[in-house]
Amino acid sequence: VSGDDTELAKDLGPLAALTIGVGTMIGAGIFVLPGDAVLRAGSFAAVAFVLGGVIAMFTALSASELGTAMPRSGGAYYYVNHALGPLFGSVAGWANWLGLAFASAFYMVGFGRYISRIFDVGGSVGVGPLSLNVVTLAALVGGTFFVLINYIGAKETGKLQNVIVVVLVGILAVFTLLGTLRADPANLPDTATVSETLGTTGFIFVSYLGFVQITSVAEEIQDPGKNLPRAVIGSVVLVTVIYALTLIVMSAAVPQGFIADLVTEVAPGETQPIAVVEVGRQLQGALMGGALLFGGLLATASSANASILASSRINFAMGRDNIVTPALNEIHPRFGTPYRAIAITGGLILLFILAGDIALLSGAAAGLHLIIYGLLNIALIAMRYVDPEEYQPDFTVPLYPLLPILGAILSFALLAYVEPDPRLLSFGVAGAAVLWYLAYARSRTEKQGILGEYILSRSDEMPGAAVSAAASVQPDGGDYRVMVPLANPESEHDLVRLAGSIAEQRNGTLVATHIVTVPDQTALEGAAERADDIDATSRALLDSAVEHAAEFDVPVETHTILSHRGYEEIFTAADTHAADLVVMGWGPDSHGSPGRVESAYDDVTGDVPCDFLVFRDRGFDPSRVLVPTAGGPDSALSATIASTLAAEYGSEVTLLHVTDDEDGEAFLGEWAADHDLADAEFRVERGDVETAIERAAADATMVVLGATEEGLLSRLVRGTLVMDVVDDIDCSVLLAEQKRDRSLLQRLFG
Amino acid sequence: MTDLFERVLLPVASVEDAEASGRALAQHEPTAVVVVHVIEKAGGAPDKAAVEQREAEAEKMFATARAILGEIETATEYGTDVSETIFAAAQDLGASAIVVTPRGGSRWVRLLTGDVALDLVTETDRPVVVLPEIGEGDGAGEPTERASEESESATAEGGAGE
Repeated sequence: VSGDDTELAKDLGPLAALTIGVGTMIGAGIFVLPGDAVLRAGSFAAVAFVLGGVIAMFTALSASELGTAMPRSGGAYYYVNHALGPLFGSVAGWANWLGLAFASAFYMVGFGRYISRIFDVGGSVGVGPLSLNVVTLAALVGGTFFVLINYIGAKETGKLQNVIVVVLVGILAVFTLLGTLRADPANLPDTATVSETLGTTGFIFVSYLGFVQITSVAEEIQDPGKNLPRAVIGSVVLVTVIYALTLIVMSAAVPQGFIADLVTEVAPGETQPIAVVEVGRQLQGALMGGALLFGGLLATASSANASILASSRINFAMGRDNIVTPALNEIHPRFGTPYRAIAITGGLILLFILAGDIALLSGAAAGLHLIIYGLLNIALIAMRYVDPEEYQPDFTVPLYPLLPILGAILSFALLAYVEPDPRLLSFGVAGAAVLWYLAYARSRTEKQGILGEYILSRSDEMPGAAVSAAASVQPDGGDYRVMVPLANPESEHDLVRLAGSIAEQRNGTLVATHIVTVPDQTALEGAAERADDIDATSRALLDSAVEHAAEFDVPVETHTILSHRGYEEIFTAADTHAADLVVMGWGPDSHGSPGRVESAYDDVTGDVPCDFLVFRDRGFDPSRVLVPTAGGPDSALSATIASTLAAEYGSEVTLLHVTDDEDGEAFLGEWAADHDLADAEFRVERGDVETAIERAAADATMVVLGATEEGLLSRLVRGTLVMDVVDDIDCSVLLAEQKRDRSLLQRLFG
Repeated sequence: MTDLFERVLLPVASVEDAEASGRALAQHEPTAVVVVHVIEKAGGAPDKAAVEQREAEAEKMFATARAILGEIETATEYGTDVSETIFAAAQDLGASAIVVTPRGGSRWVRLLTGDVALDLVTETDRPVVVLPEIGEGDGAGEPTERASEESESATAEGGAGE
């Protein structure tokens, strides 16, 4: 793709970018909410809107900086995921997606009201439980229509949006200009209290969602360094001014009680009049009333249309990072649209229209976006703090860090003034997104946040709590991580060779850890302070591990872990460092002898968090590998290890099956074929299992033993069968125990 | 006819299209092939799908075509009008002919999506070769057609597609 092509791909001019923001916001702010806002906040309704605009402005500044630094598809989700990592990315992504679906449902209910007023039909249609009021019906039909438009991908609608926005701004300019001439302070209704005003701000905040959607198409904006901040900030300024003027007209140019009467004097079966339309009619005659009625229809339609489009960009960016399945983003072969994402969003919109009232829909949209806004400001702070080389925003937030900090605090604080039900719903979505990350996305996404990367790369200097928090939520998607807990210099080299060769064969990462056991009496912080000794030992051990790992073509991470526990800390570390396999030494010099292990083991469940390979080191010589098998899951891991060693070192593999049945050879043949070991030699023995293994081991340099269902680690502790074999054999022994699948609940909370 | 296949421009719209068109073209052993995907721009409004996504999609189409046709040149173009962009690309890349395999679809689908193949044969400034899609098992035939002003051939082929 040449530079010219890139320019061609960016064809959103400054006006088009601005109208995405204005068009998405104005529908809700002017054409649906002002009546209720005046009823709630009286003459402070305009103040409530301005307050919302100010809070939005902080985030608009941050979004502008992030947008000019990273003009990528997906906007807010992308920035949060990029800066704070996929845990917060999941929250931002789901909040943005569902927030837009709630917002679209809300716009469509507004659209339905306009349809109902324009055609002067009200009440319900249908009978009994199947009856729908006209507004809901029109909302469903409208919603279906705009989803279809986006499903088919009619490019004309986008250009129409520019025209619609210009027309709307024109109508409102005339309305407010003429309206203010009629304004009279005597008309002003009573002022509201501070908390009523703030509550109104929370209620109308759905009017300030559009500017952030500009960033979701940032990649298409011409000269984003200049046009993106202008569009984002400009749209917030423009709509805030329009909202304020409109609200002033609505509260000062008509007699007190005019708007309240609209609500109370509704004939049965009639749809409640729309405040802004009635005020326009009252002040400037039927023509203005008609223009506003028609304008409201266009405004709510364009808001919904733009939101549906923006949400498909969020889906795309989430799918690209494997936060949701990329299958969601499949492009329709004929229409060229991400039809699945749009269809699902469309389904959600229709569901929300049916399930929620207007306050719930607008509140949930606002609450979810406030969560995103807070995270967006924090993302900006994280980017500035870490300051990666590629972060070169053309626009920078003034008064950093004051404004983004205020932006984050005010966004989260305003959540307190969102109505309780939608607020609960918003937090519910955020909580569900966290669970979604842990249960689904964490094992799939590969992208780590800038902040997490930064903390983990400086794990020595950073506070321990920050490191373990970052490590415990980092993604492990795809990467096969082999953790090797090192205990002493003697066994270090052999363990690293074993772990390194497996990591190399699996294209994985080697995670070398040194777990320092600190006596219970010592506080971990205290231990860290007099850490010189520990540090020197740890450094030497890990440095030599890195040196030995250089033999393999694998990335190496090193971590020193201070713990009161020795042996069982390995389990915790395996979990926090997202290990797929732990390769650990065991023996007199390693992590604890059986006697010391026993008490620790009592705290450990019978389940192991990942695959374990325990190495009884009597020299690392993988030339002749013996794999005794009786089938079962743990011997499958033995087979994998054996074939890995064969691939790395050209080991001769012998499979041993001890049975008194006749079909031992057949069993081995089938098992070998299943486990990619068809080249191995087969050996079938009769009689006592232990003796047979010992006899066969005499010809081997290394024995790979699978644990059985009882659990390898419990055997290590209790000195059962395998233990005896391990002691009686002269060569090195690898004990393999496969991860046991715990239930989802245990994994989440365990 | 060989000169027609000297340097062929093969526009592809989707991975499926890349496969079908690639198969159809492979039969004629073209000398050189430039596979082009046009990313349709809204021209001053947000697009129907992310540009990054469609660029990634284009790479998949190219990989598919490469698997079938062997060594090919590829180009991703951007334009509001797909057929005009294809003509411009044919001009820039010095194509001897544009090869299309009609994608079929009902009148309704073609009405909604526009019929690029039809535009290509009706507005062309250079040879356009319309190849029939090769169905399962009838790969041996060689029913190449040289389409002229007669758009009928393209539409008729189109009807048989899906």
